[in-house]
Amino acid sequence: MTSLEEARSLLREFPVVDGHNDLPWALRKTGYDLDARDIAQHQNAHLHTDIPRLREGGVGAQYWSVYVRSDLPDAVPATLEQIDCVRQLLARHPADLAPALTAADMERARQDGRIASLMGAEGGHSINCSLGTLRGLYELGVRYMTLTHNDNNPWADSATDEPNVGGLSAFGREVVREMNRLGMLVDLSHVAATTMRDALDATSAPVIFSHSSARAVCDHPRNIPDDVLERLPGNGGVAMVTFVPKFVLQAAVDWTAAADENLRAHGFHHLDTSEEAMKLHRAFEERTPRPVATVATVADHLDHMREVAGVDHLGIGGDYDGTAFTPDGLGDVSGYPNLIAELLDRGWSKADLAKVTWQNSVRVLGAAEDVARELQATRPVSNATIESLDGREG
Amino acid sequence: MADLQDELHTTGGLDAVPDLFEDEPRAPVSDPDGTQLERARAILTAHPVADGYSGLPWALRHLHWYDLELGESSVDTDVPRLRAGHVGALFWSLHLPEGIVRDRAVGATLEQLDLVKSVVGAHPDGLRLVCTAGQATDARHCGRIAVLLGPAQAAALDDSLGVLRALHSLGLRVLTLSGVSWAGETGLTRFGEEVVREMNRLGVLADLSGASTDTVARVLAVSRAPVLFTRSAARALRPHPANLPDDLLAGLGAAKGLCMVPLTPEQTGPSVRAVADHLDHVREVAGPECVGLSGTFDAGTAHPQDLADASRYPHLIAELLHRGWTESHIALLTWGNVQRVLRGADFTARAAQQRRRPSTANIADLDG
Repeated sequence: MTSLEEARSLLREFPVVDGHNDLPWALRKTGYDLDARDIAQHQNAHLHTDIPRLREGGVGAQYWSVYVRSDLPDAVPATLEQIDCVRQLLARHPADLAPALTAADMERARQDGRIASLMGAEGGHSINCSLGTLRGLYELGVRYMTLTHNDNNPWADSATDEPNVGGLSAFGREVVREMNRLGMLVDLSHVAATTMRDALDATSAPVIFSHSSARAVCDHPRNIPDDVLERLPGNGGVAMVTFVPKFVLQAAVDWTAAADENLRAHGFHHLDTSEEAMKLHRAFEERTPRPVATVATVADHLDHMREVAGVDHLGIGGDYDGTAFTPDGLGDVSGYPNLIAELLDRGWSKADLAKVTWQNSVRVLGAAEDVARELQATRPVSNATIESLDGREG
Repeated sequence: MADLQDELHTTGGLDAVPDLFEDEPRAPVSDPDGTQLERARAILTAHPVADGYSGLPWALRHLHWYDLELGESSVDTDVPRLRAGHVGALFWSLHLPEGIVRDRAVGATLEQLDLVKSVVGAHPDGLRLVCTAGQATDARHCGRIAVLLGPAQAAALDDSLGVLRALHSLGLRVLTLSGVSWAGETGLTRFGEEVVREMNRLGVLADLSGASTDTVARVLAVSRAPVLFTRSAARALRPHPANLPDDLLAGLGAAKGLCMVPLTPEQTGPSVRAVADHLDHVREVAGPECVGLSGTFDAGTAHPQDLADASRYPHLIAELLHRGWTESHIALLTWGNVQRVLRGADFTARAAQQRRRPSTANIADLDG
């Protein structure tokens, strides 16, 4: 048996839990035209993600990101629209996508051969400084919230913004505690290292990094520093390695900085994906060939993260449909077996790989549920406001 | 209005089959020789009040210490008084003070929903959150007062059908169609019509109290489900802008909607008799199947003498008995009509879901 065949067979038993997929955002850009982008069919020309390729990739559970932009004022209604999109996808594809809210739901979906579908909100801006809104998102099915996206919010610093509150503010810590009480996972991708440390101090439940890699391997602020990785065994959380070339490969980090500068020089936001911006981007790419990450690049991160955090604290978060570029061999959601094959070749045991693909991520959600049950017996619903805790407007 | 048939039309041969949908006893429930107040209480025991509008959520929002179970003097509504008033179900308004717009309206509505859930959760012996007519009846059989979520303001949608669906899945069942570009003074826009169709598909009732004349007319034409006026009395008796002229009451009767008469001096007058006058008038013009009650307690308005809080409904019913209302008409007024309208909304939704996908229309495409 080749290692790829072995990887596929392993994934049949312990499929991938992927921490972050931006399909809803890609669909939002089409006006949620779910007929034009029917994911029951191959959508290779338009998307990284569709059901046939999720199956081919051995995906058994997916956190669908209900991301909305953090630089626009309508974050709360836009987030509800994203949640509505996921619910419509689940209603359209009941044989393939199983709505999941708990670790038990994930296990049931695996037994049914369906893809457990969970939701994660990407950025505290989605709650507009309101714990009532946070509870609304939980009730609608959101099971993790990344504390920030690329911009700071009033109570948490982002990895890619200037330091503001120096990590989490008092209200930010209360958000973490209320998430613990609800059983919503605290996601520390995108946040500043100061925020990671503050959140680890404040949380009583395991945290996740839904899509982040190792800063020691590639020095990018979106990655996790070793001192934080070292705290995961004590916390019980999971770092889900991401594939995004501009975070995992140093040459790609440098190239992206130059490409972003090129876009800004032409008056575009560096995350603009409009046709015109992409055209500029392609022209830049022709002049300056893009460094290519590979499966091995990602495996290097996992090797390091295993050494620092331990194999019980690793997972996978591809960020498909949330990134323009992908590594060779991991071009879309069908690529996970290539990564598992690479790790098998590097001598990772099957038992360890089962932890990385499935068991660790299911465990953290279950642990968050256990903590929530305990807290709900002792801690009242929090109606704290940012004004009362931080002494200023949200 | 509903051209789909909600009820079985039995032929002669099936007359002997008991009507499974009829859950009210047919024999008189009150002693004809008792006093009017005793009879009123007996009837209300069998047919409690389903109250169309309570402002309690906003009133509780900034109240830090309260206990609705034991009684709470800082509001007009608590469990002991609801029980004394024989209230079996309440619509809890999620309306927001004026000035909360756009993004804040959606967030503030989520906060209102969250507050209602935590208040109801904190009073499990008295209150139960329900979404359907059947659940309201179940709650009553369990000795709980049913709480229905809504009306919310149209602004809470932020012009988005996705937001409407999210609010529906959080339990919202009534939406007031006024104060937005798509349901304003000039009536429903194309997007407004799509909102009504999507509300029908979901089972969210339209509340037209305070809506413009053109909006009312268009919603009555477009909606397959019955509509509500959660706070409207008879304009023939009192010229308040939210009260309904006779032609509209007649139209509402034809459409089998529901006019829920508020207990406020501005809209109905200062006394029990004034309120009863409105109920008489609405019953006469719209029909006994199209009149309901709306306490409008804790909504910042005054109340008629002798109807100061939720415990006073028996006095109003006694007045109606005095005026010759039959038990069956009272049963429709208090409980039956709201049940019918809720069932109608559910039925319309089930039928529409066979035919329509969730609408992806947006306001920019339809209204330019």
